[in-house]
Amino acid sequence: MPGLGTSFGRGGATTAQQDLANADCILIEGSSMAEAHPVGFRWVMKAKERGATIIHVDPRFSRTSALADIWVPLRAGTDIAFLGGLVRHLIENNLFFREYVVPYTNASCILSDEYRDPEGNGDGYFSGWNEEKRAYEGDSWLYKGGDLSRPERDLTLQHPQCVFQKLKRHFSRYTPEMVEKICGIPPELFHKVADALVAASGPKKTAAVCYAVGWTQHSKGVQIIRAAAILQLLLGNIGRPGGGILALRGHASIQGSTDIPTLYDILPGYLTMPHKGDQTLQQYLDTYTKKTGLWSGYPKYMVSTLKAYYGKRATAKNDFGYSWLPKLTGNHSFFEFLYDMLDGKMEGMFLMGQNPAVGAPNSRLQRKALSKLKWLVVRDMVEIESANFWRESPEIDRGELKAEDIETEVFFFPAAGHAEKEGAFTNTQRLLQWREKAVDPPGDCRSEAWFMHQLALRLIAKAKASDDSIDEPLRALDWWYPEDELGDPKTEAVLTEINGWYTDPVAGVGDSSGNESVVFGIDREGNPHHGKQVNGFAELKADGSTASGCWIYSGVLGRDGVNKANSRKSKDYLGHGWGFAWPGDRRIIYNRASARPDGSPWSERKKLVWWDWDSDKWTGIDVPGFVKGKPPDFEPEVGAEGLDAIPGDAPFTLHEDGLGWLFVPKGLQDGPLPTHFEPLESPVSNELYSHNTNPPEHWIGTRHRAMQSFHLC
Amino acid sequence: MIGEGTKSTNQRRHSYVQEHVEVGFFTDPTVCIGCKACEVACKEWNHVPDDGFVWSGNSYDNTGHLGASTWRHVMFVEQDRQKGNQIVGSHSLGNGDGEDPFRWIFLSDVCKHCEDAGCLEACPTGAIVRTEVGSVLVQNDVCNGCGYCVVSCPFGVIDRRPKPLPDAGGAFKCTFCYDRQKSGLVPACAKVCPTESIVFGRLDDLRARATHRVQELHEHGYDDAQLYDPRETSVGGIHAFFLILGEPEAYGLPPKPQVPTIYLKSAWTAAFATAIAAIIATLLAFAFFS
Amino acid sequence: MPDESRLDQLREEAWQKGAVTGRGVDIAGGPIPRKLATASPSGGGPGYYGQPVVKPPVWTWEIPVYFFVGGFGGMSAVIALAAAIFHHVDLVHTAMWVAAIAAILSPLLLILDLGRPHLFINMLRVFKPQSAMSMGAWILTGFGACVVPGLIALELHVHQVFGGTVDQLLRVAAGVLMFGSAFFGMLLATYTGVLIGATAIPAWFLHRTLLPIHFGTAGLGSAAALLELLGHRIAALNFIGFYAAGIETVLLIWLSLDKHGAADRAIHEHRSGWLIRIGEIFNGPLALILRFFGLVPFAAISFLIGALVSRFGWIAVGKVSGSDPESVFAAERY
Ligand SMILES: Nc1nc2c(c(=O)[nH]1)N[C@H]1C(S)=C(S)[C@@H](COP(=O)(O)OP(=O)(O)OC[C@H]3O[C@@H](n4cnc5c(=O)[nH]c(N)nc54)[C@H](O)[C@@H]3O)O[C@H]1N2
Ligand SMILES: Nc1nc2c(c(=O)[nH]1)N[C@H]1C(S)=C(S)[C@@H](COP(=O)(O)OP(=O)(O)OC[C@H]3O[C@@H](n4cnc5c(=O)[nH]c(N)nc54)[C@H](O)[C@@H]3O)O[C@H]1N2
Ligand code: SF4
Ligand code: SF4
Ligand code: SF4
Ligand code: SF4
Ligand code: SF4
Ligand SMILES: [Mo]
Repeated sequence: MPGLGTSFGRGGATTAQQDLANADCILIEGSSMAEAHPVGFRWVMKAKERGATIIHVDPRFSRTSALADIWVPLRAGTDIAFLGGLVRHLIENNLFFREYVVPYTNASCILSDEYRDPEGNGDGYFSGWNEEKRAYEGDSWLYKGGDLSRPERDLTLQHPQCVFQKLKRHFSRYTPEMVEKICGIPPELFHKVADALVAASGPKKTAAVCYAVGWTQHSKGVQIIRAAAILQLLLGNIGRPGGGILALRGHASIQGSTDIPTLYDILPGYLTMPHKGDQTLQQYLDTYTKKTGLWSGYPKYMVSTLKAYYGKRATAKNDFGYSWLPKLTGNHSFFEFLYDMLDGKMEGMFLMGQNPAVGAPNSRLQRKALSKLKWLVVRDMVEIESANFWRESPEIDRGELKAEDIETEVFFFPAAGHAEKEGAFTNTQRLLQWREKAVDPPGDCRSEAWFMHQLALRLIAKAKASDDSIDEPLRALDWWYPEDELGDPKTEAVLTEINGWYTDPVAGVGDSSGNESVVFGIDREGNPHHGKQVNGFAELKADGSTASGCWIYSGVLGRDGVNKANSRKSKDYLGHGWGFAWPGDRRIIYNRASARPDGSPWSERKKLVWWDWDSDKWTGIDVPGFVKGKPPDFEPEVGAEGLDAIPGDAPFTLHEDGLGWLFVPKGLQDGPLPTHFEPLESPVSNELYSHNTNPPEHWIGTRHRAMQSFHLC
Repeated sequence: MIGEGTKSTNQRRHSYVQEHVEVGFFTDPTVCIGCKACEVACKEWNHVPDDGFVWSGNSYDNTGHLGASTWRHVMFVEQDRQKGNQIVGSHSLGNGDGEDPFRWIFLSDVCKHCEDAGCLEACPTGAIVRTEVGSVLVQNDVCNGCGYCVVSCPFGVIDRRPKPLPDAGGAFKCTFCYDRQKSGLVPACAKVCPTESIVFGRLDDLRARATHRVQELHEHGYDDAQLYDPRETSVGGIHAFFLILGEPEAYGLPPKPQVPTIYLKSAWTAAFATAIAAIIATLLAFAFFS
Repeated sequence: MPDESRLDQLREEAWQKGAVTGRGVDIAGGPIPRKLATASPSGGGPGYYGQPVVKPPVWTWEIPVYFFVGGFGGMSAVIALAAAIFHHVDLVHTAMWVAAIAAILSPLLLILDLGRPHLFINMLRVFKPQSAMSMGAWILTGFGACVVPGLIALELHVHQVFGGTVDQLLRVAAGVLMFGSAFFGMLLATYTGVLIGATAIPAWFLHRTLLPIHFGTAGLGSAAALLELLGHRIAALNFIGFYAAGIETVLLIWLSLDKHGAADRAIHEHRSGWLIRIGEIFNGPLALILRFFGLVPFAAISFLIGALVSRFGWIAVGKVSGSDPESVFAAERY
């Protein structure tokens, strides 16, 4: 999720649902949480019972609104104007949490002199607009000097080129009156919300924000989330109990399917999918590795991933099999391949647990595209519309399509339901929860894991029988997974690989050997396969001595051999001891921010993680999201790299500068600050700029992003 | 402190049946989100048959009322009034633009497990009994379907199940999940309630909790919050009691429910008087006219 | 397509004013019915969308017929006893037959109405004074247990099947059993009023004293009428006829004066109200007038019709009143 990722470092909800109970105010916007996330809403109700103010900003009055203290109806698609109005209100009236904002965000960072914002002469354009490409070139958005690691800062926030001043100017026209004009929210109502949020900010109070598809399914979803991130940073609510931004994921394990992605443009753990230009591993790593912060470990994560894919066959000599990875040549998101399908450029498709013939936008187009395929594999528990579109669909009824003309061969496989297979779900708060199989699936129904495993075995056998070089990646795959009686791969063995291990096999061990640190250590031929488990991503190496299927999940099944996703004894209200939250079982991320710069808690009431001067380490209720022994007053040496370059008072360790980004100097295509534009289909003209819609939002981009966020919901 | 007061009461194991402790439900609509999970859980656990999918057009309520195949019923009350200090849109700020205030209340209704239960008193077969935990239970293998309990419940809860549903002909209502309780489990509806709108527990604890909650709500501007637990009428209190906003009528709850046995005395007196009058009249008729 | 044009109007209005007032569009064929327009706290109908507060009776035609049969059967036994005391041997004979047939019909009707007829015997598992239904079951059982052997004893005695001491014993037994029949019979005819009077149905419990009087008296009158129609045109029965129709006339007046507003409007309005009125007129004033003019068979028929119709009427009243939330609210506030 670029919205959260660019603001804070990680594309995951910053908090846990349980933690909502600690909020003093909860802003739900772009979600009907009570209706679509009823169990999570429990904690909202707990907070309400404990005196919190619940605000629901939504065009519709739903059950969520009925339970809220304040329901704010706004015109759909105008969230940035509303949130921008709140941001302006905080800045103009000096209501932001200065003690938090100054040290922990990039408010004080000085921007490059070339930077221009869309106000005034910009008229909706940031600097760097290339009219020919109809896209931004983002270099002018960088900090002064171009280095993100060591920004120049003005802690008084007075410097005219500092982020704070730019932010102030950017939102200066987002007045309550403008909010009323754009969103239809009268000033009194706007002030009610603003007052509630301000009252829940500061050392003793916190507020949380929840959103879901009311934001993400907008073409500008990323920028709406950015606006919320700015608001929460200004209020000092990130990394603190009862604060944060909770992205509410939709389907079971949607978070999981972005972490270990079903998306075409990322690899597990948010590593970038190599592009056509990224020829060698070195080239690739140079492009994506950052000098400072956690992403400085990029080579470790990438090489460990390759080692997990290709095992022994991945060596330093062959770039760890980097050449076997497919390279992206274009946009292959949902809608793009739909068009390819329609154009007959795509021969076949696997549909597993999705029903685009009814669920996806423009279902008529979907069904027509399906009819252009040569073959289609559908795995589901029932014969869904996407499987029988060729004989029962509105198009057939209307005579638009004729069954006898459709050449698509549909293979329907009966799927096992969730109670009929084991495995893990990763829920909305990055929590992995293991689920055991309750019953064997009936008849021929089989799990997805079974299907993929059996398919892989057959494809690999075919590849081995051929000498075509195109089959090399298949031949190279390290497909070692043991099976159970039904032919399912043992999913816990997959989890051990995801967690990661030392690649050197330990002779003569297996799960029965008693050496618990080596888990599932034997391959399909009965030979030792790998060494002991790693205990977390900190142990991963870039030299091929470790493998990990998804670095951010590392630690879920470490050397103690315990599947932490399957643990069910929670020790505290945050649920430690129940499941495993990535990263490193941290329930509230960036939690260094729950302590003051000097390491003491902001207040007794909002204590979470703090520096213990006696033992000289970070401690607290949650797992500290910081180098354990790095004191609060730590100053990095000049030229330090990686985490060593992050000061002791910089909580956002994935960013090169360790700061929360009010302003995103790098990583976004459509602007470093959210700006109100009308949605594409809006009949209303933009009150703020002469363009109605965001300049880079030409329609392909829009559908790309819309569908991308669709995948993430 | 963070995390304080978030512990659930609905997840505990217990041995109330063994200890003969009176238990009950306290249902609080101010936290109910109208998700109907309680309705569904009740059906699932108790194998209550599906009784049709009908759109009622009455808010989000498509179940209508409690009955033989609906032992939990989530009500969706729409009213032109404010809920506490709730602000819904600009008009409830009182800027007088003519729009009416409104509120939407959800309340999960259930058999009241009356202290003095009309259904139990009326049952001629002894099918309805009181359990160790003070709940009112229909033993379905005993019930012959006479239907007398149906007209004897002042809350309109129990009903005879019509054909062609499974087990048709018998009278059904909430069992208070007696089977679950015997094994130390919380009733299914309370267990699944995500917001603990349904709280299960010892009756005395619940009553204290409820009183406290009403006070709390009054402090938060919910002036019309009150408990619905008719203890001053002949029903003598209910074991599944409710917090309500406003008047009971809006929830289809009887304002002053009475257990029908209080009518017996006058009715029987009239019956005996009639019988005796009839005898006397008949005797007189034969004495004087034969 | 009026709806289509209204849609256009709505679009236009939204465009012009940014807001839409007034009524929307009923989607043709849409699954969700329109809410009732009745003004009330909850928008549609009184109380909670007009939903019943108590449950209306589930009973079908068997129950009013049972009330009727039990009524004349029970009171027949009373008449039989009186006739025996005053030596109307033929009448005793017929009245006992009527009572016995009723004693057999009644449980059949009751069982027929049960949801689970095969479990009818469970009624005799318990003896529950606080349950009128339980008492009724025992009364009916007692009635049957007296009437049927009583009739047999009577027949054996009348036809002198046995002689000597056996016959003497039969005579005594018949007497005792007839006494019992009369005892249970008068309860059988009146308890049904208690049965529906002591319930949660407002129109019923508000008339819990009237109901046993009505049911008992109608039973007595019906028994007399039936016996008259069976050929016993005697002055005593005629007197009973006057008595019953007279009381029913008084009850009619009582009912029309003793109104409880919404609480018992089922008695005064609707189809149920008409049934009650027709019934009461037939077994009250009409029967009285006919009898007054000596049209005894017509008076008898009128009374019987009235008694039957009013039983149906009272069950109908229960259904209407039980489904009417306002009747409950009104009764309880009353
Ligand atoms: N009961 C139920 N629960 C579900 C699902 C289900 O099918 N049924 N599906 C699951 C899935 S896959 C998902 S993705 C989630 C979705 O969960 P939610 O996103 O919480 O569910 P929606 O009801 O789609 O809520 C979107 C809300 O956004 C509002 N909205 C629309 N446009 C705007 C806008 O421009 N601004 C703002 N502020 N609000 C806007 C809508 O009125 C609506 O209330 O639910 C999950 N949970
Ligand atoms: N109009 C409108 N359209 C929408 C939305 C909206 O709000 N409004 N929401 C959008 C959103 S957020 C989403 S997420 C999509 C959802 O769209 P889909 O994902 O297409 O919809 P579902 O029907 O939830 O799930 C698809 C299938 O998965 C199957 N399934 C369940 N479990 C398993 C399993 O274990 N294995 C296999 N193989 N199959 C399984 C189910 O039987 C079902 O047929 O819809 C989108 N479409
Ligand atoms: S995930 Fe399942 S249990 Fe949780 S809220 Fe959704 S439907 Fe309910
Ligand atoms: S509410 Fe009705 S069904 Fe429930 S116990 Fe009371 S009288 Fe019986
Ligand atoms: S219907 Fe069943 S439970 Fe109800 S009173 Fe009759 S026998 Fe008892
Ligand atoms: S206690 Fe059990 S039977 Fe009663 S409503 Fe709840 S789930 Fe249904
Ligand atoms: S489960 Fe709880 S929150 Fe949901 S409708 Fe029932 S009582 Fe309300
Ligand atoms: Mo979704």
